[in-house]
Amino acid sequence: MEKIYEIKENVFAKYMDPEDLAKIVRYSNVSEMWDDCVKKYGDAAAVEDGSTRTYAMMDEDIASMRAALAEAGVAAGDMVGVYMPNSYEFIKSFFAITTMGAVALLMPVQLDDKTVYGITMGFKLKALIYDAFVEEKVAFAKNTNPNTKYIDNMAAGSDDPGKVYPPAETPCCIMFTGGTTGKSKGAILSHKAIMTGTYNGCLGYKHVFGKRYMIVLPMTHVFGLVRNTLTCLATGSFLHVVRNNKEMFREMAMFRPTDLILVPALAELALNVSRMMGPQVFGGQLETIICGASVVPPYLVKEYGKLGTRLLPGYGLTESANLVSGNAEAEKYPESVGFAFPNQTLKIVDGELWLKGDNMMLGYAGNPEENEKAYEDGWFKTGDLVRIDDEGFIFIVGRIKDIIVLPTGENISPEEIENKFVEPDFVQDAMVFEENGKLVLEVFPRAAVVAAIEAEDKNAYIKAELEKVNMTLPSYQRVTSIVIREEDFPRTPAMKKIRK
Amino acid sequence: MERSDILAKLRDIYVMAVPDAKIDSESITEDMNLLTDLGMSSINLLYMVIAMEEFFDIRFDDVSFGDFSNVGEVIDYIQKKKA
Repeated sequence: MEKIYEIKENVFAKYMDPEDLAKIVRYSNVSEMWDDCVKKYGDAAAVEDGSTRTYAMMDEDIASMRAALAEAGVAAGDMVGVYMPNSYEFIKSFFAITTMGAVALLMPVQLDDKTVYGITMGFKLKALIYDAFVEEKVAFAKNTNPNTKYIDNMAAGSDDPGKVYPPAETPCCIMFTGGTTGKSKGAILSHKAIMTGTYNGCLGYKHVFGKRYMIVLPMTHVFGLVRNTLTCLATGSFLHVVRNNKEMFREMAMFRPTDLILVPALAELALNVSRMMGPQVFGGQLETIICGASVVPPYLVKEYGKLGTRLLPGYGLTESANLVSGNAEAEKYPESVGFAFPNQTLKIVDGELWLKGDNMMLGYAGNPEENEKAYEDGWFKTGDLVRIDDEGFIFIVGRIKDIIVLPTGENISPEEIENKFVEPDFVQDAMVFEENGKLVLEVFPRAAVVAAIEAEDKNAYIKAELEKVNMTLPSYQRVTSIVIREEDFPRTPAMKKIRK
Repeated sequence: MERSDILAKLRDIYVMAVPDAKIDSESITEDMNLLTDLGMSSINLLYMVIAMEEFFDIRFDDVSFGDFSNVGEVIDYIQKKKA
């Protein structure tokens, strides 16, 4: 069964201030965006990381990094690695590389030295920009692969080759994606995809210009780069870089952000910290949290709502340059990932979401087998099972690769069952897996809620309540064992649950 | 601060930072491992550090939390910082 949804209309318009909406520009490449930012916001504060740089100051720093790259022999079309923690220099490097028409390969900072070497070889990096923090992990590549130039992120050249304005389909950057299993793949994102993702990030709520953002997520993550960093700069907003997550709340109280981009595990942590230290940890001006990268529990939407902050769930992929959909009406349907952003076509094939659109990647770098598997007739197959209701709200039902096939032949989407079991407030997270042909449920209770339960044996109470939920499921989906976990599920560095 | 006072405070923080604790906070001793004995996830650890900094009014600034293997080492560090 197939159904196609062509998203032409910007349904987010009605949630936005008309003046703001009119000011949002869809750029065709990063150089065009950056020119416009400097022209419009030159003297405004752009990035705070130790010291504060305005857009005009950044423009000068970007030009001297471009000069350093040109002096190292980098030209348009070359591949340049960016390997450093979140920092002002990361952003500067990204703009220097992409505005000269080279391709930025964004390398997660936790990569080890052998992998760094492998990337310099495999992707034939012309240059690698790194910082002192990872110097030891660059040493091996430096000594072994002389074909790559190794550039300190503080390097400054004097002869800026200037910007180039590549056609929109030109590769802009490569981001790694692997999800929770398998070997990681490099998704090639064009200028068009990155700029469409940035444009989509501007949609969805009333006022989007001149905001105060903080970044906690890695800039090597599409959510961190596109929604958090580029959308911030495209709207003349001010970005504070958090270098160490444990400082997040002190810096929040000082910086007083209006907008945060968080994964659910961090949003939950922040909620708990605010309960311990008081709501002033948010700085008192927090209006919006954009939350995604894994299933957003409706509980978070509710609890942040009580604090006067709207938490808007979104759905996206590295392959789609971040946002596919965003929920501008989270209070109404907290369990939905919202409406699809414009300039995409969605197709549902046997429940699976397939995508085409301006925001889609060009393909995986040097990986014909994965590309073969990922596409059909030009459609990117997300592997996500979705449902779209009559109003256009999208609901994630599960993931194909996590499908459990029981000995009876029944296909079970663990995520779909898990979503039922996370509905009670006392459940923070749940995992369903197969063991000896039977379905097992593990839940991790939400301590703050459990503490308030008035029952002598709280675990017995939780089990009894979950039994009730279980009985509402179709019989083949019912679990045969319920385990109450005493600690959170093991997670990847991106805080995703690691499946059994 | 006396070691016993710090340990008592750590027990209180543990209850808040790791409310899903698999062990009774009163049974925490100095030789216990932070991960395998106290069962803390990376998010629990981050929460615990934030709480300790708040309650002891110190900063874990020259150390990574992964450098501590047991409770006693955390107490050593806090004592040094409070000295």
